[in-house]
Amino acid sequence: MAESTSERLARLLAMVAYLADRDDVPVAELAAHFGVPQAQIMRDVDTLWVSGTPGYQPDDLLDFSADSYDAQRITLTNARGMDRPLRLGPGEAVALIVALRALANLPGMGADPAVASALAKLTAAAGDAAEAAEAVALETADPALDAHVSRVLGTARAALAEGERVHLRYTSASDATTERDVDPLELLSDGEAWFLRGWCLLSDAVRHFRLDRVAAITRTGQDAVPHEVASTSGRVRPEQTLLQARLELTPRSRWVAERFGGEILAERDGAILVALDVADEAWLARLVLDLGPDVLGLEPRGLAESIAARAAAALAAYEEVG
Amino acid sequence: MTKADVRATVNGYSQASNDDAFERMFERDKVTLRELGIPLVTLTDDAHGDDIGYRIDLDGYDLPRVDLSPAEIGVLSVAAQVWDGAHLDLPARRALTKLRAVSPAASGELSGHVLRIPPPSATFDPLLSAIASRAVVTFGYRGATSSAPAQRRVEPWQLVVRDGAWYVLGHDLVRDAERMFRLTRITGAVKVGARGGATHPRVTGTGGGLGATSRASGSIGRTVGDDGAADVARVAVRPERAGEVRLRALAATPGEAAWSGWDVLELAVGNADDLAGLLAGHTDAVVVLEPPHLREAVVTRLRAAAGLATVGTATTGTETDPVSEPATDPATGDIQSSAPTTGEAGRG
Repeated sequence: MAESTSERLARLLAMVAYLADRDDVPVAELAAHFGVPQAQIMRDVDTLWVSGTPGYQPDDLLDFSADSYDAQRITLTNARGMDRPLRLGPGEAVALIVALRALANLPGMGADPAVASALAKLTAAAGDAAEAAEAVALETADPALDAHVSRVLGTARAALAEGERVHLRYTSASDATTERDVDPLELLSDGEAWFLRGWCLLSDAVRHFRLDRVAAITRTGQDAVPHEVASTSGRVRPEQTLLQARLELTPRSRWVAERFGGEILAERDGAILVALDVADEAWLARLVLDLGPDVLGLEPRGLAESIAARAAAALAAYEEVG
Repeated sequence: MTKADVRATVNGYSQASNDDAFERMFERDKVTLRELGIPLVTLTDDAHGDDIGYRIDLDGYDLPRVDLSPAEIGVLSVAAQVWDGAHLDLPARRALTKLRAVSPAASGELSGHVLRIPPPSATFDPLLSAIASRAVVTFGYRGATSSAPAQRRVEPWQLVVRDGAWYVLGHDLVRDAERMFRLTRITGAVKVGARGGATHPRVTGTGGGLGATSRASGSIGRTVGDDGAADVARVAVRPERAGEVRLRALAATPGEAAWSGWDVLELAVGNADDLAGLLAGHTDAVVVLEPPHLREAVVTRLRAAAGLATVGTATTGTETDPVSEPATDPATGDIQSSAPTTGEAGRG
């Protein structure tokens, strides 16, 4: 991604402030700290070296130790008064505070002391700029599952950090509970639920496990082994399509198309027709049962019939016993 | 410094071949500085004659002292990735960079964690500044059930996330009522009125007046059935089934009499709509014993689904009943019943 001027300028100023407090910082450390490649750090230092205040005589310029530089280490020798850390702008404060609150509100994160203290310190550091963020209300974790997810997340996190294989008892969307060993790759969240992405030894493939469906997780004491997959996917949900469903919905269920990336094929009074790419039949069945009377029709027909048969069986259970 | 001083002495501006080019560069650079939070102030005084002087206000420049631990800067590093590619992405990453200037290296506690929350549309910014300045906003809005956008005038109070979607909550001046508007249904630009133009008392906070989501309406309504009587539901669950429901159980006991062989779970109802959806999704593995409204909500869903065997996605053929203007406004989240009406359930 091309870097914007403001982003680079923010980093150049931040590096000067950071280096003012430290001597002989390895380029690799700067690169890791500021999240950019080492070559970018070298370009940044080259830019800073010819920067300064108008006049641009040698004494007006930022200066670095050339000896350190040649050894891939950076020492700032003249900061020219540019080493003052810059406050957060209002837009910056809001963007980061809201993001951090979203993290804090995730299941299992509310009790994390570093999250709570980081939020308090960020809010204090942002000053007045933090006030605008108060007008943003985020979802809070489902209290019915928070304690459970918190335990699962804690174990998954420890196993991930230590490269350890875990054993899961997992209930799928179709209510099938299985036992399996998984080599954790990363923990993902879409702001509502957590997913463990890992190599599943039962299916011999990468799988995403929703932590609120993990009935039990234990560490095996065995090392996770490397697999021929990216350790980070960068996206929360897998992108795959098993089938394309067509749902005829009441207009008030338009959110289904908006939320799940469906396409509205037709629209008229009283009904919208939505095409939806579906990765999992069980997921679609759950959606249809959840929507209830807002689903006016469903294709493929075979799927509609199997959902209808299961619903009829459930109604029979109500009549039989209840 | 005056603009002329800047042009004469600051590196880079000599590249400007004429006044217009210089003005463009100067304006662009002012915008960049202000984006960065650098407090650029203008002065008119004797020293600058008729020109405007520009100065960076050093009193407003500094980041207040902040001591972040390695774990805290690690947490902020994960948070700053949340907006991936959206318009809040760049400011969040700049904020992180500024904090890194005064922070130690991050610890790896949250490494391997990726968080992406659905970003708000760009209408977030004008709405947020309107809330801060108590201004009235005007925008085009296409509700879920309306075919054409209509102009809305709203005193915005709060921006809200529910079920992965962003809403603005406020007082709708045309309908003279509290309403929620989904940001993705706002069409065109949001016009922000004069500061202090909003007069209705705000309702903020997620508790109290603002209930849980009525997901079926795709909007936010008050929680229905929260008469305080039925906060705990009892459901019967077949053995070895409904693992996801079992994880939510406050208590589990073996079923008796007619429920012999089943397990009876107690569940916190919370949002009855959401719970009904979850339980209906488990079909014959779960039977709701009480409260009645939850049982009815689940049975209503099951009946509708059982009817799907006989209908297709008939987009041609018989006309269905128009739902053009319901008594309540589901698009904007007026009070919704958690149990859909039988009138809708019977359609097909």
